[in-house]
Amino acid sequence: MPADPALRPAAEAAAAPALEMRGIGKRFPGVIALEDVDLVLAPGKVHALMGENGAGKSTLIKIMAGVYGKDAGSIRIGGRETELRTPRDALAQGLKVVFQEIALIGEFTVAENIFLEQYPVGRAGSIDWKRIRGEAAALFARIGFDVDPAAKTGDLPISQQQMVEIARALAHEARIVVMDEPTSSLTPSEVALLFAVIRRLTALGIAVVYVSHKLDEVFEIADEVTVLRDGRHISTKPIGAHDHDSLIHDMIGRRIENLFPRSRGHHKGEVVLSVSNLSTDAKLKDVAFEARAGEVLGFFGLMGAGRTELAKAIVGFDPIRTGTIAIGGRPLKPHDTRTGVSLGIGLLSEDRKGEGLMLELPVQQNMSLAALENFSRAGFVEEGRERSAVQSFVDRFRVKTPSLAQPIKNLSGGNQQKVLIARWLMRGLKVIVVDEPTRGIDVGAKSEIFALLDRLAGEGLAVVMMTSEMPELLGLSDRILVMAGGRITAGFERDAATQEKILNAAIG
Amino acid sequence: MSLVSDRSQIVLLGILALLCIAISLAAPQFYTGANVIAILRQCALVLIVATGMTMLLVAAEVDLSVGASLAFTGCVGMDVTNRTGSLVLGTLAALAFAGGVGLFNGLVVTRLKVNSLIATIATMMMLQGGVYLYTREAVQNLHQIRAFTELGAGYVGGLPIPVLIAALIFIAGFVALRFTTFGRYLYAVGANGKAARLSGLRAERLKLVAFLATGLLVGVAGLILASLMNAGQPTAGRGFELTVIAAVILGGTSLSGGRGTLVGTLLGVLVLKVIDNGIIILRWNQDLQMVVPGVVIILATWLDLVRRRRDAR
Repeated sequence: MPADPALRPAAEAAAAPALEMRGIGKRFPGVIALEDVDLVLAPGKVHALMGENGAGKSTLIKIMAGVYGKDAGSIRIGGRETELRTPRDALAQGLKVVFQEIALIGEFTVAENIFLEQYPVGRAGSIDWKRIRGEAAALFARIGFDVDPAAKTGDLPISQQQMVEIARALAHEARIVVMDEPTSSLTPSEVALLFAVIRRLTALGIAVVYVSHKLDEVFEIADEVTVLRDGRHISTKPIGAHDHDSLIHDMIGRRIENLFPRSRGHHKGEVVLSVSNLSTDAKLKDVAFEARAGEVLGFFGLMGAGRTELAKAIVGFDPIRTGTIAIGGRPLKPHDTRTGVSLGIGLLSEDRKGEGLMLELPVQQNMSLAALENFSRAGFVEEGRERSAVQSFVDRFRVKTPSLAQPIKNLSGGNQQKVLIARWLMRGLKVIVVDEPTRGIDVGAKSEIFALLDRLAGEGLAVVMMTSEMPELLGLSDRILVMAGGRITAGFERDAATQEKILNAAIG
Repeated sequence: MSLVSDRSQIVLLGILALLCIAISLAAPQFYTGANVIAILRQCALVLIVATGMTMLLVAAEVDLSVGASLAFTGCVGMDVTNRTGSLVLGTLAALAFAGGVGLFNGLVVTRLKVNSLIATIATMMMLQGGVYLYTREAVQNLHQIRAFTELGAGYVGGLPIPVLIAALIFIAGFVALRFTTFGRYLYAVGANGKAARLSGLRAERLKLVAFLATGLLVGVAGLILASLMNAGQPTAGRGFELTVIAAVILGGTSLSGGRGTLVGTLLGVLVLKVIDNGIIILRWNQDLQMVVPGVVIILATWLDLVRRRRDAR
């Protein structure tokens, strides 16, 4: 199915494109990652690159960064045909990619990181530290970014480290800056700062590629948008030619009727989780709430409000200072996940890689981890029973995987998340705590995760959801509690909640 | 399932086959029954301890004190047997000592949260010094109990007893790692300790068990070694820990945890010991016994990386 030529961008007659990629193809053994993909960037414009996980965005930007070689197609930078064989090549040609995983050296100062590849050298070959600090400060002034060049990079929050990466691009006189999911761990005010910086970059005539799942952001910042799907070029249009629905349609090839399906009424059961007087050394102050069987209880808070800390405390992962946690009326021993799990509370962590997945291990081992005792006799695993249980969840949740023996690192984020949810359902829980359940998951899979959580509540689980995504909060929760500074600052029934009220309480 | 031997052992099998063919072309006596038995006997001690070490590495821990503990255990076993005239008591003392060392390592790592590399180097130093506080010279065999000599030198059904013991331990270890919840949990703890803990696993206790098992296996190996040398030698076992770890890593077990198989470890032990044997029967300089395995480890690890990179994606 070749892409429709009519959908390709018309040749830009005016300014020469900053970057022109034509007919790009890339294969991995057994997979066609990209086929005949075009991307044309105009100087001084923000070009959004969108698509579901597995659509080929990452492969494309890795080709731009010189991490992967292309198998087919041509790349022109500033009108001149070129090859990007190594990351050094790309940088030398003025192309800088800011990856999601920040590639800075934490132990070095900000200024050192910026000039890592090309330390200015003084007389006698010694590094000119004074000049480095001065030039770093000048760069920061250009993008309107306030940080001490002598600060240790690892001490800065992620948002500022990102700015350091962007400053690094400027130090290399980059003409093209690619940002991969730059807002995935930023607070709203940090996002606003990032957008201000992006506008400064475009004012300098730099072409920006903005890779994101977040539709609202794309509509706010992008001038043009290119959509990929299954490794193919689907469309390139000015952002004005899109609305939410048309963009989603291009991304997933179908319309999502309702991102937040609700299958259940407002039936609520008995209290299955009650938390009182909960404080921790780190963050939480006197938190108390209850969750009932059959409801989705949404917790909202800005970054640093204490959502993740609360999630980890109530499942027994982190120690607490004071307070009680009871599951189904029975007290949970703090800082002991084993009793937590046996009482029926489990956490779907926000940090999928760090606290959820065993990346190298197969889907089967990943899914059955918490429930393995159910499939064992006298300490021996009965693999037949285990496999059929895993298979039934794979079918029920429509987990896309070539086999149960597939290492889970090869699955998309959405499918990984389904496996982790199944891990808990296999075990059988009364309360599932989900922390940012759709982080890094694309739109199509998101609606499936929402439907899944909704169904769990319908089946009588209490779903406690920690989120920083307002649409997710309002779309899925029956009740909403808002946190700020480690406390619960407000509570709303679903019908009474509005975005303004919630944000007001969150700012505290 | 990928927990058993699968294609990941191809590189190692190839190397082993190449070695056997090359050595037997140069020295036809390689394939005599006596030489094969000699190789297996050489493998036994390493394989016994490597079985425990594989479990530890799978759980993302390591024990560098096994060599020092091996020597000390031999001295303790011989000494207690000498004093009491009872092989049972001597054996129990040796196992209790080595198991105690394993338990100590495990507690330091899981309770005090000291990195296992550091903790077990410290244990190694304590044992290497401590054994001289215990005995200034080799503890000779004064009891002359026949069963003790049999332990190292005896045969059952044409196979040396150490080889049979190693085979039993290997099979038990293989079953435990491959078919039990304990084994599966070890992989989980090694692959992602936090995920394992969130799933209700007692990560620390599992690691403790692996340390204890390794310690006990060192006890078994220490007794066999003392029997073979007919003495408790404080200087025995120098560098033994490196041979064991080299064999395990050669077998494809990841230093970062969560990946590895005992079949791989067995192949790793065989490769190292076939090299040793080849150097001896070809009458090469014995110092090459350290050099060649070093080269092989780098080669095998690199070939495995190449293979996995090709498999990925």
